Amino acid sequence: MSTLHVMFLVGDSGYLIPAESVLYMESFTGATLVPGAAPFVVGLVQIRRRVVPVVDLRIRFGLPPAAPSLGQRVIVVQVSERVVGLLVDSAREVVHVPADKIEPPPEIISGQSAGFVRAVAPVNGRLAMLIDLDKVIGPDPVAPDIEPGFVKETVHAQ
Amino acid sequence: MTGPVDFHDYVEGFLAEADEHLGSAGKHLIELDRAARGGQSHPRAVRELFRSLHTIKGLAAMVGVEPIVDVAHEMESLLRAADRAGGRLPAPAVDVLMQGIRAIEERVTQLARKQPVTPAPPKLVAALSALVASPPAGAGGAAPRFGLPAEVDAKLAASEREQIAQGIRGGRRVVLLEFVPAPDKAERGLNITAVRERLSALGELVKVVPRSVATAPGSLVFSLVLVTSAENQTLAQALESEPEAVVALTLDAPAAPDAPDDSDPVVEADDTPAHAHGYVRVDIARLDDALEKLSALVVTRFRLGRAVADLTARGADTRALDVIVGEVTRQLRDLRGAIMRARMMSLAEMLQRVPLLVRGLTRNTDKAVALSIQVGDAELDKGVAEQLFPALVHLIRNAVDHAIEPREERRQQGKPEEGQISIVCDSLSGTHLTLTVTDDGRGIDGERVARKARQPVPRTDEQLLELIAMPGLSTRDEASRISGRGMGVDIVKRTADSLGGSLSLQTSPGRGTSFTLRVPLSVTIVDTFSFVAGAQKFVAPVAMVEEIIVVDASRIAHAPAPDRGRPAPDRAAPEWAALVAPVAAMIERRGQAMPLVSLATLLRLPGRAASPDSGKALVVRLTGRHRGEPIAYGIDRVLGQQEVVIRPLEDPLVRRVGVTGATDLGDGQPTLVLDLVALGAALFSQARADS
Repeated sequence: MSTLHVMFLVGDSGYLIPAESVLYMESFTGATLVPGAAPFVVGLVQIRRRVVPVVDLRIRFGLPPAAPSLGQRVIVVQVSERVVGLLVDSAREVVHVPADKIEPPPEIISGQSAGFVRAVAPVNGRLAMLIDLDKVIGPDPVAPDIEPGFVKETVHAQ
Repeated sequence: MTGPVDFHDYVEGFLAEADEHLGSAGKHLIELDRAARGGQSHPRAVRELFRSLHTIKGLAAMVGVEPIVDVAHEMESLLRAADRAGGRLPAPAVDVLMQGIRAIEERVTQLARKQPVTPAPPKLVAALSALVASPPAGAGGAAPRFGLPAEVDAKLAASEREQIAQGIRGGRRVVLLEFVPAPDKAERGLNITAVRERLSALGELVKVVPRSVATAPGSLVFSLVLVTSAENQTLAQALESEPEAVVALTLDAPAAPDAPDDSDPVVEADDTPAHAHGYVRVDIARLDDALEKLSALVVTRFRLGRAVADLTARGADTRALDVIVGEVTRQLRDLRGAIMRARMMSLAEMLQRVPLLVRGLTRNTDKAVALSIQVGDAELDKGVAEQLFPALVHLIRNAVDHAIEPREERRQQGKPEEGQISIVCDSLSGTHLTLTVTDDGRGIDGERVARKARQPVPRTDEQLLELIAMPGLSTRDEASRISGRGMGVDIVKRTADSLGGSLSLQTSPGRGTSFTLRVPLSVTIVDTFSFVAGAQKFVAPVAMVEEIIVVDASRIAHAPAPDRGRPAPDRAAPEWAALVAPVAAMIERRGQAMPLVSLATLLRLPGRAASPDSGKALVVRLTGRHRGEPIAYGIDRVLGQQEVVIRPLEDPLVRRVGVTGATDLGDGQPTLVLDLVALGAALFSQARADS
């Protein structure tokens, strides 16, 4: 038993997502900035008549932003009702990952990575990480749950 | 052989129709309820209700939903009995009928969610059939007579007799008319159908009886009984006969038991026939599809326009082409208008069920609520209405459940025992409408909400709204019970946001609360200005922009902004409030100071810091609580005016106040559609919190 995964690079690490959740892969030519959106949201792109928000995985994963390059790809994924693009440094391979080779990450890693890493599996002799899409495109786990603007203002006024 | 797909088509059709009939059933039930409480009968409502239920039963049988058939069947029997008794229903029967409607609604919802449909509640069925077995009191007594020809009199049902008697008692005229069909009349389009239509417009047509008369041209005469306030002259004109042919009927039965000057008269619904001809029911998805195709055409038109402009720039004579492009633009606008009109539904229709809802909520409580709905003839897109209605229901439910105090409490506070809830619509801008739900209940106690939520005490209504719209708060039962609010406000706010609208609040402890929902009339194609601010292109609806002014640098007054040096708030802050820059400048306009805000600074756009000292500004006038306040947004330059297809931004990653959606200007890049009014409201609220 093996499942088809799309492998991509962010920084120099390899990541995997199930091929069935990938709708398209496109090259990246820039996005329309959405004022007020989280810093890891690079903006909106239009792909096949569809307007898709794009998450820059470098920033999401705590890396410095990269200069635009020809290798960059937007992987458009569907997670339940939502359609979101992931901006990655490169994406070339579709790989078969045997089910019995997929393992949970060491505990210390799942803690550090805010639950983004769901599992690990060896691909071509190197460990690649299966990411938890829900968490990666979900609300920012490090931001406080709810902090209405006025709370800050009140503190400021005192 | 037809497959399950066909069946699903049926179910879709059933759901749409059932919904409509349940809506009108609710309306007529409310009329019946009022009549029953006033000790009156309401034959027409009984018949309309019967018709709705009969249709629902038939449709449900077609798709094989037995539980709905069962409930509808019992209700129908009860109404048939009531119809025979002259349209009189005892008050308890109205309650049981309401439960019946609710039971059907629940099952329709289950069907829509593809859940198994629960069987008909046996208690309800038993209660309904028990009511059928015992005919309502007050139906006895001799049938009233009106001096009608025997042939006509014999054809009258008890309910029709009652309808005539009530018309006479209510001070309206009841008349007998005769229509003699003839070939020459038919040629002029005057046939019995036309006569029915004309008379229905003049009053309530109670009965039409065809009689065979040897002397008439076609051996046929129609006798028509009409309850009306129209003059004989008018009536005769409708039939193209002489005024003398109109015979007024009198009541020669014993005097009516109920006083003629009853202070709570039965409210008649509008006289439009329930089953008007010439309507087609269209699945909204098909209209969406048509709009989608139209939107592709609009983009093609842009490209055509640009190609022609290129030719012109290269010196070609494009006058003829320009005319054609202009024509295409106009025709596209007309086509858009036609499709949009097909998608519009009346707000009054959307709110049809609200009285029933309020009645259901006050039942078995010690509260009394008077509901007033003033929405005029406003219309909105069906797609918007479908999302808006549940949010509105939340607000109304909150008002009844939490805001309006029990009678006793109200009396102690010197308030009238009956609480007031009003729903008012204001569609001033042409692109948006506001719906305000106001109650005169206890108001929201900000301090208590804050204490329960362990948050600082809100200083303004905006802050209070943010607090009660916190998703966590709704689950904290005690907070919502004590505060009288908090249930589902987060859902209401999210709905408004997702529609590209907004929610605002005004509350005064002990006096009442108003929630205002502001939503676009439609979420599709809008006439916009396109412009550049910072390095980015934007569009904003033309209807929102009052004026585009040239900013003269020498006339700008820069106000001191001592806080400007403070660190910029985090870009990830959850709401615009934290993003809004201090107002730094003012400009004089028609003798008044108007705030001038650089859009690029306000939106923290990267690239060069655009100064408001140069270029143009879009002047917008705010609505809602800051209604009438002008604000000027400094921009770099205006690109043009065009119709765009707005795609709403639904993903939480990019859903932001002030951003309605995105559009394609033909360059393959999404362009943001800004709601400058909502942005201005956020700015004003922030300024108020700061001062």
